[in-house]
Amino acid sequence: MNTLLARLLQSRAFVAACVVAPGLWPAWPLFVTGDSSVAADPAKYVLHHLGFTAACVLVAVLLLSPLRAILPRWRPVLVVQRHRRFVGVSAFVYAALHVAMHFVYEGGFATFRTDWQKPFILVGLVAFGILFILAATSLDRVVRALGSRRWKWLHRLVYVAAVLVLYHQISARKVFPEQVLWLFGPLVVAELARVGRAVVRGMGRDAGDRALGGGSGAY
Amino acid sequence: MHIRIRKDWELPESAATDEAVACSAGLGRRRFLRALGAGLAGAALAPALRAATGGFPSAPDAAYPAGDFKITPENLATSYNNFYEFGTGKDDPVVAANRGWKTEPWTIELAGEIEHPGRWDVNDLIAKLGGIGQRVYRHRCVEAWSMVIPWNGFPLAKLVALAAPRASAKFLKFVAFNDPSSAPGQREPILDWPYVEGLRLDEATHELAFIATGMYGKPIPNQNGAPLRLVVPWKYGFKGIKSIVRIEFTARQPRNTWQQMAPQEYGFYANVNPTVDHPRWSQASERVIGGGFFSGKQPTLMFNGYEKQVAALYAGLDLRRNY
Repeated sequence: MNTLLARLLQSRAFVAACVVAPGLWPAWPLFVTGDSSVAADPAKYVLHHLGFTAACVLVAVLLLSPLRAILPRWRPVLVVQRHRRFVGVSAFVYAALHVAMHFVYEGGFATFRTDWQKPFILVGLVAFGILFILAATSLDRVVRALGSRRWKWLHRLVYVAAVLVLYHQISARKVFPEQVLWLFGPLVVAELARVGRAVVRGMGRDAGDRALGGGSGAY
Repeated sequence: MHIRIRKDWELPESAATDEAVACSAGLGRRRFLRALGAGLAGAALAPALRAATGGFPSAPDAAYPAGDFKITPENLATSYNNFYEFGTGKDDPVVAANRGWKTEPWTIELAGEIEHPGRWDVNDLIAKLGGIGQRVYRHRCVEAWSMVIPWNGFPLAKLVALAAPRASAKFLKFVAFNDPSSAPGQREPILDWPYVEGLRLDEATHELAFIATGMYGKPIPNQNGAPLRLVVPWKYGFKGIKSIVRIEFTARQPRNTWQQMAPQEYGFYANVNPTVDHPRWSQASERVIGGGFFSGKQPTLMFNGYEKQVAALYAGLDLRRNY
């Protein structure tokens, strides 16, 4: 089972399918005539689904690091790490489609002259700007030019983007959307587990040091 | 179960572009059965325009014609609904409100600072008020989308006259049904249940203020607020409280549900106003439901296009502060 999972997650084709499928499936109701609310405003439906999918893919790529820290020996987690860049850039692509769809929904750029000042829109734009910078600096050449330390610092901006996306998603609705809990909840749990693990390990080392120190019998 | 009810709103009535068509096509199953039951089978043959709750004739009101309005396809107006009592998704109410929730018989209570308090069966009330008529109104949601809907019902002013408000009555407080066993949304703390709305007395007696008991020449579907709901076309849609059980005439301004929920975003007045934005989004333009994928947005009109009729109600009022 684990080997099968590991083999699947190792495959670029499989991971690509996983990333592309959620972008495609919302399209099917567009081709079905009926009384679904999709029919009422299909552009709004597509707009929201692209944004939501972008958020899902962003959370997916953010889960990779804490998972590696929590489950350092589990093969599926290890092999999937090779797709980090692909998944990360996919999040940017979905976000770009979402932004493009916004202008279709609005019917052009006229409303943007004032709308960008809304915190809801502005926050989404800043998050998109961050993803754009991160995608642009994902090319091999740029990574090398930046140097790994600077690149790493720059790419920590993704956590800022995640917080902004969370706000953006919550403020899109009149009431609190529960979906953000099951979307961002696992990420928060995984990050807490990573931090908790690091702290426990640190404390263990401290305790060990003290035990050794006490054993030296200096006094 | 579902199929029976879906048929009501799935009929290809979307071509109801003028009120004569909308009205005469309205011999819905529920009404037909009721007509039979009441021994009025002959009514089915009568050429009179008939529709809405209880088989009352619904004559189009010449003062509120469809005119240049492009009426929203019926299947969209009856399936794309904000009715949080039945879930926050727009496609939730059409399903959840038709799972055995009973909207007949229905009693509405008139109470507060009035000469004639009492409880009315909805059908008796309509008979007492002289039946129903049809009006085509714009409908603008606070979420920046809009529809055009042919409503069947009666002017709210008639009901106010029946209640006979005392001099102390300055406001109307509307209360919706509260039945968590039928309404899944009411089992969650989405809003402070039951839903409450309010109008100033002079707003309520304005000729445009309307109580709808039907739409598209048929009894109003559950998901649209059966058996009777408020329609105030110059205000955002959330003012149009659905499935009303009580109207209380008060001396003090009531706090409506959305105002309680987020007072910095939703006010008491909620007049459609393209120059006063929602804090999170613009109100300057709106998506037209059924308008098509690439239709973009159309400009929103002051008081939703009813400025000539209602602006006088708000003379001297700072609309920026009283949003």
